[in-house]
Amino acid sequence: MAPSVPTPPENSGAGTNALLVALTAAFGGLALLFVADLWGHTPAGPKIPLVDPVFLETKPWRNSYSDMVGAKEDMSDYDCYACHEKAKPPPIRFDANHRIIIPKEHANIEMSHGSHDRNNLCYNCHHEANLLTLQVRDGRELKFDNSTPLCGSCHGPTYRDWEAGAHGRTSGHWDAKRGAISRLACVNCHNPHAPHIPTRPPAPGPHSLREAVAPAAAHP
Amino acid sequence: MPLADKTSDRAMSRRSFLRGSAAFSGLTALAASLSPLRELSDFTSTEEFLQKYYKELSPDEMTKVLQRIERDVQRQYGIRPHVRDLKPMDGVEFVYCLNLTRCIGCRKCVHACVAENNQSRNPEIQYIRVLKLPHGSLDLEKAEHHYEAKEVPEKGFFYMPVQCQQCENPPCVKVCPVNATWQESDGITVIDYDWCIGCRYCEAACPYWARRFNFAKPQIPKERLNPEMAYLGNRPRRQGVMEKCHFCIQRTRAGKYPACLEVCPVGARKFGNILDPESEVSHILREKRVFIQLKEEMGTSPRFFYYFDK
Repeated sequence: MAPSVPTPPENSGAGTNALLVALTAAFGGLALLFVADLWGHTPAGPKIPLVDPVFLETKPWRNSYSDMVGAKEDMSDYDCYACHEKAKPPPIRFDANHRIIIPKEHANIEMSHGSHDRNNLCYNCHHEANLLTLQVRDGRELKFDNSTPLCGSCHGPTYRDWEAGAHGRTSGHWDAKRGAISRLACVNCHNPHAPHIPTRPPAPGPHSLREAVAPAAAHP
Repeated sequence: MPLADKTSDRAMSRRSFLRGSAAFSGLTALAASLSPLRELSDFTSTEEFLQKYYKELSPDEMTKVLQRIERDVQRQYGIRPHVRDLKPMDGVEFVYCLNLTRCIGCRKCVHACVAENNQSRNPEIQYIRVLKLPHGSLDLEKAEHHYEAKEVPEKGFFYMPVQCQQCENPPCVKVCPVNATWQESDGITVIDYDWCIGCRYCEAACPYWARRFNFAKPQIPKERLNPEMAYLGNRPRRQGVMEKCHFCIQRTRAGKYPACLEVCPVGARKFGNILDPESEVSHILREKRVFIQLKEEMGTSPRFFYYFDK
């Protein structure tokens, strides 16, 4: 210590000690905080919720007639002759715009097969003489659980693609030597009365951890 | 001087205080700097450290490696997995076809892929990005993968899922300095997660942004872990390694369809062996309007084709 350093006499004793002790305590506290890792840790990222298992479902969204028979569901709705009379085809009525009038007993049916209501005649597909079957224009009579050839009778190219596996859902094995491939029927995905696939909510998008700004502005 | 002596007699001198506090803070700083080591609960075992290159492993050594992985996974997740090393099959070359007319942009494939391939949920790693594009153009500058629609498909847009294109001429393989990624004979570009050094050159080289890096320790909830694993496929990854779509190697090399195809609600995804003329993909490439290999001008020649119905 240089002797020339002037030291105020009133500051020399208890005051210095108290200051040093306080400093030591403060440093010690800081060091403890530091070791306890309260600082120096990157803040935890936002919690990303797990995806709803609904989006992992691989089952088709529609049950076909044969699925319902297989699951032993209540098929009383398909017993046409509980209400209709045999050998007397139910009449089909149209309004002034040539829109089909759906009777209230069949109010659950949405008729929108084909654009501009072109395909709105029930007997294009249903058999007027036997309501428990379907008919193809070439005269074939098909059961409800074998409707695919009926669809194919109009939708030729799509049917060809479906047969080759290029249209529609497949599942199981790509390698026939290793296991079976299962191919769904048209009605497993398409409602025959309203075949257009309905819109649905999408699964959550990627978490925008890297995005500094909200991404909505990117729309063209 | 007498004053200073007086102080040092009663308590410590300023010098010793500074020395002591410097030493103390130095030690605490050292301890703090070493504290991340406490999180290294799973040190690389000697076995893993000394493991040979994948292609040099004998069948016996491979069995041991697979057992080691099973033990590691069980220790970490409490679930005994079934880890296999599936080799490419003779006479098989995989091709993926995606029908842009059918895709509705529901993103189910993205999440089925995550569930199948044990990607980290937090931070989030996904192999598939579904791009939303306005009708009438294929300008990827206008693509958007963060779309949040109430219902899809939205009017005036189409959707294009992008994942690893399994290029015939993969730039990612060329840049890897340690040969941790390579193309197998069935066309799948694979990664050996035990050989990857995490330099991310491949991520930079890929024109499709198909490769993902584990910046943090991957987190997978135990109940969502898929125990059916493959060495080059969906076994859990470490922090600091790359990963990407591998056409669900654990499924496809066992004859099954990939998970993204199984879950697609509209059947837009098609997969199979291009060397088999009867396969679905052969039919599509022969008969349909297959118009695009994404970024064809890059010369990567993808095995992932986009096609149209009409």
